[in-house]
Amino acid sequence: MRRRRFLEISVATLAAPTFLRRAWAQGPIKIGMPTALSGSYAQYGIQAKRAADLFAKDVKAKGILGRPVEFIFEDTAGDPATAVRKAQKLVEKDGVKFLTGVALSSEALAVSAKCPEWKVLFMSTINGAGALTAKSFHRYFFRVNTSGPMGARAISLYLAESPMKRFFALGSDYAWGRDSAASFTQQITAAKKDVVGSDYPPVGTKDFASYIAKIRQSRAEGVYLALPGQDATIYMKQAHQFGLNREVKPIMEILELENMKAVGDAMVGAIGSSRYPFTVDTPKNRDFVKRFHELHGVYPDMFDGETYEGLEWLAQVIAKAGTDDVEKVIDAWEDSTYDGLEGPFLMRKCDHQAVQPGFAVECVKDPKYPHPIPKILATYPGDKVTPKCRTEEFS
Amino acid sequence: MANLLEQLLNALALAGLLFLVSAGLSLVFGILRVVNFAHGVFYMLGAYLGFTTVALTGWFWPALFVVPPVVGVLGAVLEASTLRFIYGRQPIYQLLLTFGIALILEESIRVLYGPTAKGVEPPALLQGAIDLGGLLYPRYRLFLVALGCTVGVAVWLFMKATRAGLVIRAVAQNHEMADCLGANVARVRTLVFGAACALAGLGGVAAAPMTTAYLGMGIGVIVDAFVVVVIGGLGSIVGSMAGSLIVGAAQTWGAFYLPETAMVIMYAVMGVILVFRPWGLLGEEE
Repeated sequence: MRRRRFLEISVATLAAPTFLRRAWAQGPIKIGMPTALSGSYAQYGIQAKRAADLFAKDVKAKGILGRPVEFIFEDTAGDPATAVRKAQKLVEKDGVKFLTGVALSSEALAVSAKCPEWKVLFMSTINGAGALTAKSFHRYFFRVNTSGPMGARAISLYLAESPMKRFFALGSDYAWGRDSAASFTQQITAAKKDVVGSDYPPVGTKDFASYIAKIRQSRAEGVYLALPGQDATIYMKQAHQFGLNREVKPIMEILELENMKAVGDAMVGAIGSSRYPFTVDTPKNRDFVKRFHELHGVYPDMFDGETYEGLEWLAQVIAKAGTDDVEKVIDAWEDSTYDGLEGPFLMRKCDHQAVQPGFAVECVKDPKYPHPIPKILATYPGDKVTPKCRTEEFS
Repeated sequence: MANLLEQLLNALALAGLLFLVSAGLSLVFGILRVVNFAHGVFYMLGAYLGFTTVALTGWFWPALFVVPPVVGVLGAVLEASTLRFIYGRQPIYQLLLTFGIALILEESIRVLYGPTAKGVEPPALLQGAIDLGGLLYPRYRLFLVALGCTVGVAVWLFMKATRAGLVIRAVAQNHEMADCLGANVARVRTLVFGAACALAGLGGVAAAPMTTAYLGMGIGVIVDAFVVVVIGGLGSIVGSMAGSLIVGAAQTWGAFYLPETAMVIMYAVMGVILVFRPWGLLGEEE
């Protein structure tokens, strides 16, 4: 009987579909996420993780190329040096070929610089710094999300048509805040309007009273704010207490759901750009928001949506390449298109920046939701909001 | 004129908040000889507990009275269960311990409350702005000025005019001698540590409507508080008041008149004072 049993097993094994055997031999497709899960920037890492959780659930049954997908998370606490160390661990010890979910631009610049040497693909889904697809661009870097300059562009296009004429620019005192304020000033001046003052409060400012006094004295009609998450929340609270928001319209480089939840009604009326507003009315997005809410019990913020799109697109590209070999995946991704949550995406070959729609939104109250939500004021097609290749400039 | 008044009030409001935090830091150093890195986290805890109390009761005022004792008791328990056993050792042990407590508390708050900042509405009486002769000024900031002054005077009177204050000062001056004279040094230390944490908690509750309760607020405030304490003199309540006023003024006026150098001004003032009075404006020369 033993010989018979052996034959049965052999035949069964040989008859199994070939892709299954190959999948077993190759093991899972591993995606590494060195992201800020603790510290002041944890809200961004948590968004990346929430998106990954939903995506993992989606592909659980089929996998990618018939292979299971495994996410490996590492906490960077928002520190560039830690991010590089954790990314190196993911690449060398865990053998991941794809890195994503990095929270801060400073971390992204540090990790991305190592990727050509490691021969792994870095997919940005959060990082805004223009330099990533310009000065610091290389073959292994892809940006699926809307960049900072693209956000500034969308809101500038909107303001060019508004009756407001005088603006004040308030940018956080580091690369992103200063770049955004400069980019805004340039585009507003080009639209024949005035930037009557600018200031750069340090990151982590807890009292904006002096800046609020200055903005009021400048008699500006709108104030452009490039402040990161928590700073924006504090500014909005205090400006409301000073009664400034009624006199000077807040215009935010990124209008985040996190801010709206924390600030509440005092935020209503603020306008700004959004990388991904969850209120986009497309069938695909409605389905995503519903499933996201079912899984996590909250509505998706900007980087929940952007990270989910990145993962879905990456999976499509790996399927198209028929392999998870990094070089082949890169070739397959360049100039490919993807049907995103908020519209069509194109991965530009020249700088690996995803061309995608840009949004101007306003924070409004809606009785259907427990907090204020972004209402879309204007949608701009990708070619209007994406900068010229490998630059931060617009034609 | 309205502008000058606004600048003055801005500086005073910030100073009021800074005083609530730095007074406890200064007391703990003066009496326990411990640099308490966890102090900022007690401030943050106060803000979050304030949020919870407001969410549960719908009122702001209870938070102001309930939260500080809760934070104080937690501080006292932590002192009695950990810090008490390492006073005799090198300062590095106390630094490591308080730093560890800070990390544990901060991450616990993150796990419990999540990463989103928690907004706290000021009480109805203090909402909105008031017209001060052509100047619209938030009522809540005026309240912060008043609160800072009240607590400052109360703590100062307590230290100067009560028997308990006398014992505390005795322990601060020479704890061995105080022990010989019958003061229960261990209990004084626990109570002072608890009271300092309660002050930080009060600061947190008071700060929440102005800054929201958010992760990292403790670390942000502790740096300023250290500067206040170094300027004013370690262990001196009046020094903390003076230091708070100087730092409050340096930060708000610096940001208004000399924005590019706002960050430097505070440290420049501290540097100058350290050169001429290394023990701080009102500290004791050792």
